[in-house]
Formats: sequence, C-alpha cells, structure tokens
Amino acid sequence: MKDIKRILLLLTAWVAAITGLHAWLNVDWKSIFNEYLPEDERKLNVAYIPVT
Amino acid sequence: MFQGFPEIKEALIANKMQAGFIVAPMAIALRSQGVPIRIVYLGHRYGSAVVVRKDGDVKTPADLRGKTIAIPSRFSDERLIVIKVLKEFGMTTADVKLVEMSPPDVAGALAAKAIDAFSMGEPYPSQAEMGGFGRVLFQASDYWPDYMSCVLVVRQDVIDRYPHKVQILVDGVARSGLWLDEGIPHREHAADFVGRYYFRQPPALLRWALTHPPTRVIYSRLTPRKEDFDMVRDLMMSTGVLDKKIEFEEYVDTRFAETADFQTPWFFEPGEDQAE
Repeated sequence: MKDIKRILLLLTAWVAAITGLHAWLNVDWKSIFNEYLPEDERKLNVAYIPVT
Repeated sequence: MFQGFPEIKEALIANKMQAGFIVAPMAIALRSQGVPIRIVYLGHRYGSAVVVRKDGDVKTPADLRGKTIAIPSRFSDERLIVIKVLKEFGMTTADVKLVEMSPPDVAGALAAKAIDAFSMGEPYPSQAEMGGFGRVLFQASDYWPDYMSCVLVVRQDVIDRYPHKVQILVDGVARSGLWLDEGIPHREHAADFVGRYYFRQPPALLRWALTHPPTRVIYSRLTPRKEDFDMVRDLMMSTGVLDKKIEFEEYVDTRFAETADFQTPWFFEPGEDQAE
C-alpha cells in the first residue's frame, strides 16, 4: 500500500512537472492574453508566410 | 505563420489578423472586391525567380513552351512576371500550363519532376539551387526593374482607429529593411534568428537567399509608388484577374510610408541584447 502511494505521488509530481515545463516553454501566453486585452491595448496580429 | 496566401486572405477578412504580408495583385483584387484593407508598405523589392530543373531541357525562356510552371496564386506578381516574359518571347499563357501551388511545396515538386519550372519568392529558388536540382532561369528583376511582390496590408478599421499602431508597424519594417541592407553580417544574423524562431527553416537556406548575392532581394525603397502599382493593375486587367479599373488612391494609403521615409536603421549588432 505504501509503495502504491509512493508511486502515485511520484507519478503526480512527474505529470505536474512536465505540464508546468510545457506551459512555460511551449505556450505563447502573451499572444493568448493579447486577445483578452481592451482593443486599444491589443497588439496587431500580423500574418506572413515563410518567404523573404 | 501561414503556409499560403489564400489562408491569410481569409484571416484578414475574418479579422483574426489585422495586418499581413500578401502578394500585391491579391491586395488589389481584394480591395476591388470590397474587402476593407489598404496597402501601407512594401515587404521587399526583387526576391522572386523562375527556376527550372538543372538537368532539364529549358535553357532560355523560349524553351518554356509546353511546360508546366508552378505559381503561388493567380493573384501574384510571380504569375505576372511569367506572363510578361512569355510575351517577350512571343508566347501567351496558352503556350504553357500554369498551376497554383503552395510556396513550400514547389521545390519538392520540381525535384520530383511533377513540374518543369516554378516562379516563386525566396527562399524557394535558393532551396532548389542548394538542393542541386534547380537552376535559376531568370530573376524577376532581369525583366521587371523595381519588381515588387509582397506588400503589407492593414485592415481599414485599424487604420481609422489606431493609426499610431500602424505607424509603429511600418516604421519597424522600414528600420529592419534599412538594417538588413547595411551589409552581409546583418543579413547572416537575420538568417539565423528568422530561420530558427520565425520561418522554421534551415538558417543556411536563408543565408543563401539573402547573400547570393545580396541584391537578390532588397529591403529599401519600400514606399509604394503609383507607377509600379498602375503597371500591376494593368497587367492584372489584361490577363483577366481584375475586371474593373481601380485607382491607386483607393487601395494604397501612403501616409505611413511617407513618415517612415525619415527612419534610420536599427542600432543593433549581432550579440547585443536589444535593438534601439
């Protein structure tokens, strides 16, 4: 029982760590929050394709 | 980042994007159809080429007769330059097969022999050259002095309500262009960070496109000029992709470019933390 508890705890910590790292490294929070700012404070979204 | 111009067009119409870089004829056609956008600046000059297979039988533009040529869109300067050159060699679009293809797909299609040639902006001509299977038949600027392709368009409601934001955007593009045209070290640095963080392309490819030679694509003289756009509009009308005449003032707003004309290059050298 003690071992199962320990494994579950480790698993939860591992998932939380990976989720936190993903949210920190891979999510562009600035661009997500930008959509919720008042219109005059929002940055413009500029579209481009990968050509020079 | 998008993979094709039609998707940018939809995003602009839906107001998911407030500004974008699209090909000039597409901007003119959209404005003519009533889409509320205006051209405020150019993205670059030159930078498009017609590329053929290195081992193929096309040695001069005259050899394009009967060939399949990929273009990014029927509303593109890359299509117009092909038509212009065909005319110079006594041909029309009836003598070739023009197919629309997403820019990132053309080099692979040429290598696989699915097409005989493509007319496209950089870095796809460079990609075919570096891959060893493509050869530049001609640069657009060889037949069209002051050739332009991508332009910066902004939604009219943004121009009306937030002109200061549009000015910041245009000033930034102008300063970046002047900085790029200051020399090869700036272009090499730009190739590195744009390749990694924006285009997701090998920096070596962009380095080739920006430096072989540096005049392959230039980023100064980007103020929209009436004579350039009149020529594009007239070519569009004569080739059937624009059905009514539209005047320069209806689809271009030059006031931001006129202010940006007084800008200086960014003060930034590779290795520094911040541009000023």
